[in-house]
Amino acid sequence: MSEKTMEEKVEQATNSKNVSLPMSRVRLIMKSSPDVSCINQDALFLTTKATELFVQHLALSSYKNGSGKETNTLSYSDLANAAEETETFQFLTDILPKKILARDYLKSLEEMKKDDDSL
Amino acid sequence: MNMDGDGSTTDASQLGITGEYMAGSHFVLAQAPEGDEGLNDHEDGNGSKDNLREQDIYLPIANVARIMKNAIPQTGKIAKDAKECVQECVSEFISFITSEASERCHQEKRKTINGEDILFAMSTLGFDMYVEPLKLYLQKFREAMKGEKGISGVTVTEGMGEELTEETFTNPLPAGIITADGQQQNVMVYTTSYQQIPGVQQLQFS
Repeated sequence: MSEKTMEEKVEQATNSKNVSLPMSRVRLIMKSSPDVSCINQDALFLTTKATELFVQHLALSSYKNGSGKETNTLSYSDLANAAEETETFQFLTDILPKKILARDYLKSLEEMKKDDDSL
Repeated sequence: MNMDGDGSTTDASQLGITGEYMAGSHFVLAQAPEGDEGLNDHEDGNGSKDNLREQDIYLPIANVARIMKNAIPQTGKIAKDAKECVQECVSEFISFITSEASERCHQEKRKTINGEDILFAMSTLGFDMYVEPLKLYLQKFREAMKGEKGISGVTVTEGMGEELTEETFTNPLPAGIITADGQQQNVMVYTTSYQQIPGVQQLQFS
């Protein structure tokens, strides 16, 4: 059975079985990890499906905990907060740095300076 | 706008900001006129970073956005940079799981990452709540694959060799002979990783 045929079948199953992310792209991302040689079909499917669950989980979790309740919008900072506060999402903290306003940062720097001066 | 010289921004003595900010994260300064949500330093759709990472491959944003939209209450909206951000998180997640699974494979001297490795990785990394639903989805997926022409995991073992005659070899045979209801359509008997899963209902996909 050629690889191509298998891939076609996987795509077919993808379309008819409600997997809404492209498995071929998922495979690409998996392969970009070091030392990964072969990925069997079950593993690929499970990863793809898990990724969907993850997106749902992250989106809903961030939305519920965040300012979304008032503003009705899921924002970047909701996600950054979720990453920091939820243990499961902590692996994301490196790629979800909290953004602070420039003026707040400068203000806190000033305050630091004041503290130093007063010592 | 990235703060260059991260060393100075994360230096505890310089910042004097509360502990939570000093936990190894770094700051990105954002320009903020009032009421502007969704600030993004990056212009292009993929939210590229200054330094290239292996997670530069992303899943299509439309798919990601759709899943997000369906997850939150119907009236909710999603900021553009939140979508891009989740797109990146997704690649991170996939790599995260894959590395863990890959490591286990290596430890056990195997070359191919299989389903068990993935499930185990998820459990280890704090996503054990996904494991049971995923097992169900996998069953359905396997059923779907078998239902179509060409069954995955079909192999002819050596033991079957005795039953084969010259004639059977001259006929070109399609791989998938055994249909879903288990009827054989020709002489050859295949052994498969074919699992009878009793009692699986046909579930509706929402």
